[in-house]
Amino acid sequence: MAARPATILADGLWKQNPIFRQVLGICSTLAVTNLVANTLFMCFGVIFTTALSNLTVSLLRNLIPVRVRMMAQVLIIASYVMMVDILIKAVAPDIHRFIGPYVGLIITNCIIMGRAEAFASQNKPLASALDGLACGAGYALVLIAIALVREPLGFGTVLGYPLPARGLWWHQWTIMVMPPGAFFMLAVATWIARARFSAQEKTEGTEKKT
Amino acid sequence: MNKRSMGYVLGFTGALCVVFGLGISVVHYSTLEMLQRNEALHRNRVILRAFMIDVPEETPQAYEDAIRRHLEISKVKDREGTRTVYRLRDRGNEAIGFDFGGMGFWDRIDGIVVLTPDLRRILSIEFFDQKETPGLGARIEERWFLDQFKGLPVAWDAAPKERVIIGPSADPNAAHRVDAITGATQTSMALMRFLNSELERIRTLEID
Repeated sequence: MAARPATILADGLWKQNPIFRQVLGICSTLAVTNLVANTLFMCFGVIFTTALSNLTVSLLRNLIPVRVRMMAQVLIIASYVMMVDILIKAVAPDIHRFIGPYVGLIITNCIIMGRAEAFASQNKPLASALDGLACGAGYALVLIAIALVREPLGFGTVLGYPLPARGLWWHQWTIMVMPPGAFFMLAVATWIARARFSAQEKTEGTEKKT
Repeated sequence: MNKRSMGYVLGFTGALCVVFGLGISVVHYSTLEMLQRNEALHRNRVILRAFMIDVPEETPQAYEDAIRRHLEISKVKDREGTRTVYRLRDRGNEAIGFDFGGMGFWDRIDGIVVLTPDLRRILSIEFFDQKETPGLGARIEERWFLDQFKGLPVAWDAAPKERVIIGPSADPNAAHRVDAITGATQTSMALMRFLNSELERIRTLEID
C-alpha cells in the first residue's frame, strides 16, 4: 500500500471525508459548531492529534506488540489530546471553558482511532502523518462550513463580528444555537456532498461504458 | 527479541507510559505560569461581575485595579475551614460576598454568592468553575439562570434545606424560589443542596 501524497490528501479532504463519507466524529461536529471561533480551536485540536498520533503510531508500528496495540494507540492519542487541552487552556481560556469537555473527548473521536488503526499501523511515517493531516483537515472543512452557517443564523455574527446593519433585517434563529441546528446543517451538508458523489460516480460509469 | 513475550509487552507499555507522561509534564510545566495568570484573570472577572462592577477596559491590570479599588478581601475561619469574604467598599451601595461551593452532579462547583449586608437578600451568584454536562447542567452558567438570583430573598424562617428553592416547591409562587434547569434536575438539586448548606454556614460566620 504505497499511496501517492496527492491521493492521500484528496481522500482525506473529499473522497473519503471522515464526516460525510465515513460518518465519524459526529458528536463534536454537533457540539462545537455554533461559534466559528470555538470550531477553529476544536479543528486545531483534532488536526494536531490526528497528524501526530498517526505519525507516532506509524513510527512505532513495528515495535508495538500486536496484542496491546489498541492500548498503545489510545495512550498515544490521549497524551496528545492532553497536550492540546493544556495548550488551548493556556492560550484561549475563555474558549476552553466552553469547548473544554469536547477537547477531552477528542480521545474517543472515532476519526483518530480509526486512522491510527486503518492507516498508520500499516504505512510509512510521512504518509501516515499526511493522512492524519488530511483527515483532520477534511473534518475541519466540514465543521467550519457548518459553523459559518450556524453562527450568522444563530447569533447574527461571524467570528464575533456582527453582520452589517443586522438590527434592520435580521432575526435570531435560536435553533441554530442549539444542538438540533447542527443536526439539520450536518444532514444538509451530507446530502449535498452525497448527491455530488453519486452524480460524479454516474458520469464516471457512463464514460467507462462508452 | 520475541515481541509476544510477557517481558517485551510489559517493557514496551511501561516505556510508552514514561515517555508520554514526561511529554505531558513538560507541556504542563512550561505553561503553568500562563495558566495561573489566566486563572487569576478569570477569578477577578467573575468576582467583579458578581458585584456588578463595570471595568473600563479588558486588561488583567484593569481587573486587578478594580478589585483593589472597590473590594476589601479577607479570610474568615469557622469550624470547617476558612472562607474568603469580599466586602464592597462603595458607600451607600453595600454588599458582602462569599466563596461557596459543593458537589455538583459530576464534580465540584465553585462560585461566589453576593448578599446584602444583613444577609436577607441574594444580590447575585456567579460560578468560577463547574464541570457539569455541557448543554444540560452546564447551563447553570447561563444568564437567564443566574439572573433569577438577583434580588432573591433568603427565607431564613424556612427549613434549613429550603431557604432558597431551585425547582418545584409546594408553593410555586414562593418569593425565594427560582426555576431549575430542564434536563438537569440532578445539577439543580445539587446546587440547591449546597447553596442552602453554605448559606447556613455563612450565617454562623463571625463577621465583624
